Amino acid sequence: MAEFTDFSLAQRFSMIALNAQRSNMMTTVKKISLRAMAAAVILEVYLDGGLTGAKGKIQPATRTGENTPNGEAAYREMILDGVRLKARGRQHDLFWWLKHASSLSKRKLARFELVMAKTLSDLGALEEIPNLLGCDMYYESAGLSIKEYRCPIDEYTRMTEGFRAEILEEGQVSDDAICLLWLLRESGCLPDLFSRNELDLVAARMNELDPSNSLAHTLFPIQIYRGWEFAIKHVLRMKKTFIRTSVGTGMLFLFPLLDRTQAVFIETEAWFSNSKQRLEAVKERLEAQGHVFTVLKDGEIPTIKIDNLVYEAVPHFVTVRIPIQGVRLLPKRPI
Amino acid sequence: MSRQRTMEAILASEFVTIGELARLTATRYSTLKFYTEEGMLPFEQAEENLTRRYRREETVERISWIKQLRSEGMSVPEIKTKLMEES
Repeated sequence: MAEFTDFSLAQRFSMIALNAQRSNMMTTVKKISLRAMAAAVILEVYLDGGLTGAKGKIQPATRTGENTPNGEAAYREMILDGVRLKARGRQHDLFWWLKHASSLSKRKLARFELVMAKTLSDLGALEEIPNLLGCDMYYESAGLSIKEYRCPIDEYTRMTEGFRAEILEEGQVSDDAICLLWLLRESGCLPDLFSRNELDLVAARMNELDPSNSLAHTLFPIQIYRGWEFAIKHVLRMKKTFIRTSVGTGMLFLFPLLDRTQAVFIETEAWFSNSKQRLEAVKERLEAQGHVFTVLKDGEIPTIKIDNLVYEAVPHFVTVRIPIQGVRLLPKRPI
Repeated sequence: MSRQRTMEAILASEFVTIGELARLTATRYSTLKFYTEEGMLPFEQAEENLTRRYRREETVERISWIKQLRSEGMSVPEIKTKLMEES
């Protein structure tokens, strides 16, 4: 029987939000994730009864991280200390705490990321591996080292599929799932976990929970994201939606520079190699860079799972001085 | 407040939900739902709109058995027939 760890709300959300994000760079997407992760810490303390008060106004209890089995104390104190300063001893409502936690400075967020990543890595729930982009022909040949976070595949599946089932199935939804749902919405991660059709069900579920559950009623109207950051992410998502076709081809083929992180090109050595040989070349490159690789569907355009995400490996060529034949990896979400 | 059950509580209970099964077995929700709809995972349900409850030990064992057969190359209809024959 496998060993199970009970991760806290902030840890679970961080595992989803940081998965496949660059570890040594502050990208816009990661900044949005970190803001939501800071809000997750407030919600975690709130659910554990660490925020006390009356009439909807709350403040942190004096000690919030005692007897925490999985090292929650370190990141909880870090976020609460930052927000406490702004509270100046006054009691505020949950919205205020969430808003201020998610508006911490970039420097504080970067420190928070290090603490959270260390906590998760000590628990074996997060590791640093070479970024998938490092497998791209141009990056690989330039010798660039880009790192990314990866949540262990089994643990990621346990957490995300358990959550998906709770939301999509009939029946009661726990407060943890309500908070996670809100955090995923605020960080723009919902489409990573749910398909387009499922998103309609999720929206219906949220509408159903809003009047019937007091936590959902308090939380769902709150928005913490920053407009300009979200706009950037939204544009990227729109572009991704625009390029999605049944075979995974589209605008990225014509303008791969627009979104290179999403379209990795791996060259194959042999001209006109068949799909099996092409896949073998991809496998070799990915495994050499420390990625876990599973073929989900064979064929001319195979579907492959790399770490926790699913891609289509589409035959493609680029022209430098001579045309180079290879494979373009295009994300296929959700799994 | 209704909190998510801890793994300790799940491992101590006789019945689990489909979400808890996903957590226990690291299996995709859609896969478990498909197996359930195919009648491969028996469950109990008090009323139509209430949560389906699975017997933890038997169901976890059955899922790992199904996974093993799948890895040996057996198709879902073949596994289903095998299950029918055995029960």
